[in-house]
Amino acid sequence: MKRQNGWDMFAFEGETAVTIESLDLYYGSFHALKNICMAMPKHAVTALIGPSGCGKSTLLKTLNRLNDLIDGCRITGSVRIGARDIYAKEVDVSALRKNVGMVFQKPNPFPMSVFDNIAYGPRTFGVRKKAELSGLVENSLKAANLWAELKDRLHKSALSLSGGQQQRLCIARALAVQPKILLMDEPTSALDPISTGKIEELCGELKEAVTIVMVTHNMQQAARISDKTGFFLLGDLVEFGDTGELFASPKQEATMNYISGRFG
Amino acid sequence: MRDAHTSGRKRETAAKAVFGFAAAFSVFAVFAIIFYIFYAALPAFREIGVFHFLFGKLWAPDKEFLAVSERFGILPMIVGTLCVTAGAVLVGGGIGIFSAVFLVAFCPKKLRAPLSHLIHFLAAIPSIIYGFFGLAVLLPVLDKLSPTGSGMGVLACSLILGLMILPTVTGIAKDSLEAVPSAYFEGALSLGASREQAMFGTVLPAAKSGVLTALILGTGRAVGETMAALMVAGNAAAFPTGLFSNLRTLTINMVLEMAYASPGSLHRNALIATGAVLLVFILALNGILGLLRHKKRERKIRPDRPPTPAKSQKPFSEPVFKKRGGLPRTLKYLSAVLSGVVLLALALIVGFILIKGLPAISPAFLFGPSGNAAASLRPAFVTTGLLILTALAVALPIGIGAAIYLSEYAKQNSRIVKVIRLFTETLSGMPSIIFGFFGVIFFCELLGLGRSVLAGGLTLSLIILPTVIRAAEESLLAVGDSLREASLALGAGRLRTIFYVVLPSAVSGIVTAVILGIGRIVGESAALIYTAGAVMYTPQGLLSEGAGFAVMMWKFSGEGLYLDYAYATAATLLLFVAILQALVALCKRGLTRGKRA
Repeated sequence: MKRQNGWDMFAFEGETAVTIESLDLYYGSFHALKNICMAMPKHAVTALIGPSGCGKSTLLKTLNRLNDLIDGCRITGSVRIGARDIYAKEVDVSALRKNVGMVFQKPNPFPMSVFDNIAYGPRTFGVRKKAELSGLVENSLKAANLWAELKDRLHKSALSLSGGQQQRLCIARALAVQPKILLMDEPTSALDPISTGKIEELCGELKEAVTIVMVTHNMQQAARISDKTGFFLLGDLVEFGDTGELFASPKQEATMNYISGRFG
Repeated sequence: MRDAHTSGRKRETAAKAVFGFAAAFSVFAVFAIIFYIFYAALPAFREIGVFHFLFGKLWAPDKEFLAVSERFGILPMIVGTLCVTAGAVLVGGGIGIFSAVFLVAFCPKKLRAPLSHLIHFLAAIPSIIYGFFGLAVLLPVLDKLSPTGSGMGVLACSLILGLMILPTVTGIAKDSLEAVPSAYFEGALSLGASREQAMFGTVLPAAKSGVLTALILGTGRAVGETMAALMVAGNAAAFPTGLFSNLRTLTINMVLEMAYASPGSLHRNALIATGAVLLVFILALNGILGLLRHKKRERKIRPDRPPTPAKSQKPFSEPVFKKRGGLPRTLKYLSAVLSGVVLLALALIVGFILIKGLPAISPAFLFGPSGNAAASLRPAFVTTGLLILTALAVALPIGIGAAIYLSEYAKQNSRIVKVIRLFTETLSGMPSIIFGFFGVIFFCELLGLGRSVLAGGLTLSLIILPTVIRAAEESLLAVGDSLREASLALGAGRLRTIFYVVLPSAVSGIVTAVILGIGRIVGESAALIYTAGAVMYTPQGLLSEGAGFAVMMWKFSGEGLYLDYAYATAATLLLFVAILQALVALCKRGLTRGKRA
């Protein structure tokens, strides 16, 4: 993938993948994120937890600038991927999103074949040769543990897959453009326990290659698979630290109350 | 990489501009129609005088011994138009609202879908068929009732136009009745009201503004209807004096005399000026609709008035509760009976035309040679094919582009979307004959295309544009945002998202738009007679004259010689319309099934 070098605008040396400094976000007059500061390490799973409406999904969408689509959304502070401020004027949003992939809460495969779903991203970035595309499709499906199940059904419609398969297909689709960071917005909340297990397992394998930031409602899930955890409440980042520590001995009372199930 | 990225951005900006232009096209079209009709009418207004023209009682263009200001008066036609419109709204509006109530509330569930399809079918029947039905079936009956022995005139015209506007009224009234929150209905029932009391006492009043909208749209359709009125009105340019007195509407005046008014003459300008007056009527109706919508949005809860002190408090006596509801029950049966009347009318039209028409269809009639010596539908097949190609070639790209702008770029409910929607609705509310006159002035004369299939096709493209925009926009909006997000999150630009993800998901809506457009083209007559021509021979190309099915049918029925042919053409047209309707229904079903999966 020679072409890809041109898209490598995010200097990715150092230990930190995402640096957020005094980030404030407003939807119109609603203050949705308040003075957020956090540093997410590379090759790790960072989990964002908290009750509904606390801003965790909003934070996720600031990382690939999908919030740009929302009218009246305003941001102050800085968000850096690698060394680059992604809200700087000269940043190409398309290149940013190639580097920061996203998996959504509900599986959203395109109404096309399995192959075309995965090839959609590479084709967007100019990969046309059948051989290259086939290679990418195979690698991505393998990375998402789907190759064995789907290798004979590559040209069937993606809508015919089961929910769990669709979600892993969406992960494979995101991986096909070789992102450095993968954002996951409650990726298992619409799935059955077995599919959920498969995706959690997958996250553990994937963090060798990509940095994962995951929003989850499920505290056990955060405890099981993440390295770092951030707890959000009403737009504030209440506590952020190593997952083991945060769950064993939270420093804030609100965190304590939340993880022990007293509210939320 | 820098370059790739800026050129990508440039392409996105250019695309947005192109889609924006497509969206603005209906605004241009409405302004162009208004401008050119009034511009061409100006000499007539100047020479005759606006007052003499509007309030003159005599229309006799060939009585050249009279002063110009005395022989070009259209008051009889204004009065005629108002008379039959009122009659049509009385007939079609009344029955239409009652059958909407029946469909929503009292119709057995199993019958609801088929009945709705039949009402749609009624809306899709071309006006020339209604006119022909009036001529061949209704008039002989009315002849017997009429004291003068001729059934033509106000009553016949009102009945036929009423039947034509009925599906419009029923459709919109039904939508607005269904939009009334079910809590109203349930609330009334919980107080002990019967279903029919709840329906007529609570739900119908709550849907008042929607029902009014339905009536106004129906009025617009009646005011602008041309061919059907032409065939049953009698067409004498005199004031109507009774139910069986002949009359001429504005539209009839336009289509009747255009054939022998020479270009540039005062007579022709006066006909265009008649069109301008018609246009004023239509725009006024549109204005009322706009006000109605505005008011509905602006309506606020009034502050409570201070309670008026009761003057003399009567001592409270134990009330006596009675079981009531005689009137609502009567209304319920009335709604069922009137719906039955609609079905009967539909069965009569379809049955009569198929029984008389099908036996007359033969291979020779469909595809044989046609000219002055013999007649066949061959020219109609060729002409209609060419008209469809031309009209779709123009209307599809513009319509889909506009829909893309409205659903993908513009902010929902922003002012620009409202303006574009308003103009698209105005365009869709314009009568065919106005399009026809605009086509003559703009495409035939100004662009120099002459009377040709091309000019007819371009005129038709304006007629079907609103349909295409609406169907395409609906289907684009139905595509889930999650797909757009998925594509954008992969780094794809807006254009790529639109063309590779959104449009393919919206294909069935676009196919629906194409079929609806074809349906309109196949049955169109008033807009084509003077743009594409009314000749019996097969067109040799886009620049020669040609007549489609409906225009052919008009010729067949007008000349008396070919009455069988008229029946056969009507039957062919009906079959076409039925097939297209079935296709639309299939497409819609495919759409909903796709969404569920």
